[in-house]
Amino acid sequence: MNYELIKLLRQHINISQFVGFFAANLVGMLIVLTSIQFYKDVVPVFTEDDGLISNTYLILSKRITAVSSLLGEASSFSQEEIDDIASQRFTKRVGRFTASQYKVYASLGVGSLGFGTDMFFESVPSDFVDTDPAHWHYDSSGHEVPIVLPRSYLAIYNFGFAQSQSLPRLTEGVVGMIPLDIRLRGNGREERLRGKVIGFSSRLNTILVPEDFMTWSNAQLAPGADTAPTRLIVEVTNPTDDAIARFIDDRGYEMENDQLEAGRLTYFLKIVTGVVLAVGLLISILSFYILMLSVYLLLQKNTTKLENLLLIGYSPARVSLPYQLLTISVNFLVLVIAIGLLLWIRSQYMNLLWSMFPQIEEASIVPAILCGLAIFVVVSIFNIIAIRRRVNLIWQHKE
Amino acid sequence: MNLKLNSLRLNNVMPRVFSDREKDLQSDIWLHDVEFQRGKYYLVEAASGTGKSSLCAYLIGYRHDYKGTISFDGRDIRTLSTAEWVELRQRSLSLLFQELRLFPELTAWENIEVKNSLTRFKDEKTISRWFEAFGIADKKEIKCGRMSFGQQQRVAMIRALVQPFSFLLVDEPISHLDEANAHTMAEIMQEEARAQGAGIIVTSIGKHMEMNYDVTFTM
Repeated sequence: MNYELIKLLRQHINISQFVGFFAANLVGMLIVLTSIQFYKDVVPVFTEDDGLISNTYLILSKRITAVSSLLGEASSFSQEEIDDIASQRFTKRVGRFTASQYKVYASLGVGSLGFGTDMFFESVPSDFVDTDPAHWHYDSSGHEVPIVLPRSYLAIYNFGFAQSQSLPRLTEGVVGMIPLDIRLRGNGREERLRGKVIGFSSRLNTILVPEDFMTWSNAQLAPGADTAPTRLIVEVTNPTDDAIARFIDDRGYEMENDQLEAGRLTYFLKIVTGVVLAVGLLISILSFYILMLSVYLLLQKNTTKLENLLLIGYSPARVSLPYQLLTISVNFLVLVIAIGLLLWIRSQYMNLLWSMFPQIEEASIVPAILCGLAIFVVVSIFNIIAIRRRVNLIWQHKE
Repeated sequence: MNLKLNSLRLNNVMPRVFSDREKDLQSDIWLHDVEFQRGKYYLVEAASGTGKSSLCAYLIGYRHDYKGTISFDGRDIRTLSTAEWVELRQRSLSLLFQELRLFPELTAWENIEVKNSLTRFKDEKTISRWFEAFGIADKKEIKCGRMSFGQQQRVAMIRALVQPFSFLLVDEPISHLDEANAHTMAEIMQEEARAQGAGIIVTSIGKHMEMNYDVTFTM
């Protein structure tokens, strides 16, 4: 493209119109990118996988009412009930919680400090726990029992107990290093073991030990005791399925964790993001029209020049090119600035998110950037085609 | 389309606007079978309003509002594609427009560059020589919008010459030129046409360029 051509065709470029387009397109693009990124960043807060217990697991128990307690109705699941749950179409598999049938006393020593408590253990089938099988396992010679604690216990200790007693706060890592002293009593025997906290779960409201340890200890300390499960762990295909909620209500069961709640929140977040995204896209489309109008106006004002260029041997493609490059450059600049602003905005809200949910992982920024690129490509292609069509009209003297 | 055109042929052509006076149309061109051949020089003399500029517009592909058939080397020009017209305008047909169609915001030199950059057919030396021959060497850096029509006519002439052509169409080229400049223009045009083996079609409504025309038509 030669200098004379640029000098000719830049005549009548209206800077304020381009600034207007630039601002509008930037706002549109930024809203679109930010809403996508925000959605990606925030969804894990609701659907967070705690690493040990998958999201697609539900924990079921029977509803305990005043009447059922008085009548002494069984709060455990019978085999028929378990088969019924397993036969539902949303169910993938069902596992039983097995509770310890003996007394457990655990104590913890940190330097000169120490405290202990009576407690209980539960186990679920090992394949429901997503952890390295080498760690999630007990052999009677090793005497060290791996334990998973509810994350809320640590929060209660750190924010309630430690604070009021001027005790040090503990991180998950530190707790894993403190040896637990465990005493088990039953059947006239006592076992002393060491325990080790290998992880925390925000989904399981129990003190979890490996199934092989539970089998061994129940056999040792409470042979023949009733082990009908009071809680079941159920893997489902889609935890947000309505049918699950209906089934649970119908059978009078209770779901222990907030999976459905999270499903609803995610759905709500999707709607909000969708609306914001639509607004962003609408602004982008409108800004595209502003750009098209100002380019049309520019072409209109330069019609005579363009016609003369075509008559002395310039091709429509060649006279379209400077305008196409102009719009592509503006679009590209918008994309780059929008991505820059997105990164800045994200760093602001991510700090806030991390302070509230330190365990969430950083989501990828790639989808937002790909979406920005897609908008850039689509808008640029439309611009290129529209400019070329206008120039073709000039070629045909229809302008 | 072959870039070396040998003949431009008008078969029973008439501008559509003349339909109502078809019967009493006195013309050697309209409604006749006319052929312009490469290497020959033609003068088309016309009174105002007889369609002289329309003829130029038809031949350059700018307008198509005529009846009959115009063909280049036997090919009906209504069937030419955009790309073929672009090629023809760059390499086969050169037109000096009556209304010049220069760019007033560009200097005389830049106006030539806009055209010459398409084919790089002429070097700076030749172009400079023509500026001098036409007596406008000092106007190279002046914007065309600030030049007299006569000066602009000479710039437009140079622009028409900086491309390869089989036919050079010049629409009233000397309306604002004195004898000496008209003579220079005729000399340079013929020199270029000879070098390229091209044909020249000159239109005129009053004084016409002195050249050895092979055929003279009256519109």
